Amino acid sequence: MLAILKLLQSLVSTLHSEGTPGQIAAGITLGAALGLTPLVNVHNAVIFALVLVLNVSFGAAMLGWALCVPLGFLLDPLFHRVGHALLLDTPALTPFWTRLYNLPVLPYANFNNTVVLGSFVSWLVLTPLIYFLSRLAVLQYRARFAERIERSAFMRAMKASKAYNVYRWFQP
Amino acid sequence: MTTPAAAEGGDGSGRVRLIRWSGLIPLALVVGALVIGWLLFANAIIRSTAQEALSDLLGTEVDIGRVDLRLRTAAIGVFGLEVADPHDSTRNLAQADEIALDLEALPLLQKKVVIDRVTLRALRFGVARRRPARLAAPSGYAAQTMAAVRTWAAQFTVSPLKLTPIDTIKAVVLDPSQLVTVQRATALAARADSMRGTVERGYASLRLAEALDSAQAVTTRLAGVKPATLGVAGTKKAVEDLRHAVAQVNDARARVDAYRTTLTNGVALLTSDLRQLDEARQKDYAFARGLLKLPSLQGPDIGGALFGQVSIDRIQRLMYWYSLGEKYIPAGLRPDTTSAPARRRLAGTTVRFPTTKGYPDFLLRSGELSFAVGGSLAGAYSATVTNLTSTPALVGVPTRFTARRSAPGAQLAALQVAGMMDRIHARPHDSLAVLAGGFSLPGFALPGLPLRLQPGGSTSDLRFARDGDSVDLRWTIHAGQVAWLADSTRAASLNRIEQVVMRAIAGIPDVEIVTTMTGTLKAPRLRVNSNLDDVVSARLRDVAGAEISRAEARAKAAVDRIVDEKTAPLRARVAEIQADGQKRVDDARAKLDAKRTQLEAQLKSLAGPLGGVIRLPDE
Repeated sequence: MLAILKLLQSLVSTLHSEGTPGQIAAGITLGAALGLTPLVNVHNAVIFALVLVLNVSFGAAMLGWALCVPLGFLLDPLFHRVGHALLLDTPALTPFWTRLYNLPVLPYANFNNTVVLGSFVSWLVLTPLIYFLSRLAVLQYRARFAERIERSAFMRAMKASKAYNVYRWFQP
Repeated sequence: MTTPAAAEGGDGSGRVRLIRWSGLIPLALVVGALVIGWLLFANAIIRSTAQEALSDLLGTEVDIGRVDLRLRTAAIGVFGLEVADPHDSTRNLAQADEIALDLEALPLLQKKVVIDRVTLRALRFGVARRRPARLAAPSGYAAQTMAAVRTWAAQFTVSPLKLTPIDTIKAVVLDPSQLVTVQRATALAARADSMRGTVERGYASLRLAEALDSAQAVTTRLAGVKPATLGVAGTKKAVEDLRHAVAQVNDARARVDAYRTTLTNGVALLTSDLRQLDEARQKDYAFARGLLKLPSLQGPDIGGALFGQVSIDRIQRLMYWYSLGEKYIPAGLRPDTTSAPARRRLAGTTVRFPTTKGYPDFLLRSGELSFAVGGSLAGAYSATVTNLTSTPALVGVPTRFTARRSAPGAQLAALQVAGMMDRIHARPHDSLAVLAGGFSLPGFALPGLPLRLQPGGSTSDLRFARDGDSVDLRWTIHAGQVAWLADSTRAASLNRIEQVVMRAIAGIPDVEIVTTMTGTLKAPRLRVNSNLDDVVSARLRDVAGAEISRAEARAKAAVDRIVDEKTAPLRARVAEIQADGQKRVDDARAKLDAKRTQLEAQLKSLAGPLGGVIRLPDE
């Protein structure tokens, strides 16, 4: 229940932030990588650093992460198949993987794992779609519902909380 | 809501800044926290990871007391390593107080482990554990290997030594329907019944009475009639009737002949089946002999019965480690898949992509081990291993290992181990030689006998070679001063055969067991021989030979009795069918022939006086 409330709070906060729809969409897209791919991997450290350093919505990234975690679990069998197809069923790619595998540092990215590679490639492929759909959704929300929700008691209570102030540190 | 400039997240010029410089602060904090965490917990993380990985790898619990990582010199110290025995959870297969590993730094960047040198101190084997080891995960490769090795070992069947007294045959044939002859006789009885029905129906279909009655009616009607009284037309009609009657008789005669042929064929078939019953009886003799609990008289049977299970158990343990080696030290160079470590999400499959120009995932260039063994083999040993690797094709030289101990007068006076694993190419070549002398093997009970063998001072010579799929193993154990310990409680109730065998074995001062395994690795042939085989076999033949012959004769008589009970009525029935059928045929033929003769005589008396004036039909 608490997690759902937090998620709702994050959603509303993000949508009412000062970020542009593009910044929020970019944040959700980067956060989706954290959720769709197995978390403890080198590429996610890079993604997390990008979320911090790039001028994207941090809250949106956290929101994208939270939304995509269950999706990641659900789609793991599909990711495994994608990764298997790329790593083992495509002989033309074997020299490429062999080269990457024997380069410094890159093996720590676990790209040679079917689920890691499959989920990462799937995220890369879905990136434009996630970005544009998120951006469209934010634009639609702000045009139709933002005004009413901004005046609601829930929003006023949330803005008064300390968590909101901490959250604002990472506002774009 | 937001101002337009703020909404753009920019500086008021309408452009959004790409970099959020303030974000570098939390990033630096996170990186700093990671570095501090690594400095504080690296050893614990490596220890935990190594424990988990090694446990998965070996299929048994691996515990590490402490790890000391020295980044500057790329060295790791491992203290208090314990590897549980996968076949006995209460003991450690090996445990070492200290292991020093000198690593190469560059391969670490590629997530590969190249150990220049490893030194083990105070390695001990077979030490009792403080607590039982955890079982390997059933889904892991090691657990699957254990199951596969057990299945592999199950293909070797060890026949127990049969020493049940042969004069107490419990049941040669408890259920007569087990005998092939009885089964065939039952089927044959059904066929004989069917044949009898066929004979009856066939005889009825001959319509003999109809043909004979019709002929009789003609002969009666024309009896004493003269051509002169009939006139030309009447005579011609009478001749036609007679000829028709003769034709009917001839048709009936032909049907009788056909019936006889059918009868002969049917009876021949039944007779042939009866002969096959005699062949089936030979099989039943063999079956009945099999039901007898006769003592094993062949040497190899005795060796296998006495020492087969012990040998299989030992070889099974060797095969477990060898199978793990097969997996982790694959022959040739090709992408290799392994299951990824378990995690909350789907683990997936991890693929290795070795290349001839790179490092293998794991390489131990040189290892020096000094270890101690407890129990009867107590003492200090030294061993070396070179070029132990997960990808031999990259290293280009075979893995070699040696172990040696020389301590005349000690319990284990000499030990020499030399082995080589050549997996450079796709066709593997492995060899192993283990020579050990002057040690006491643990005693074991002989299956089927109340005797326990204490081998005393022994020598062992194990030779193993593999070339591709072919394996050749020969393991000779010689115990020069054996002691035979009898279980007096059980010995009191032994039968005569068991007493003879026990006396024969107990008088043997030394034991030599030779186990050989040849053929393919997947389905090898295992043979266990011992010097006890011939002694026991000869004694059994002396004592039991005559009794065995008598028992076999009794089994044969039992089969004959049951089979005769079933087949004698059957033979009689077949003979009856044949005799009955033949009698009917003979009777029918006689009646028909007599009637035809009578008809032809009448025909001659009517047609003859006309002197050919009357043209007879069909003439």
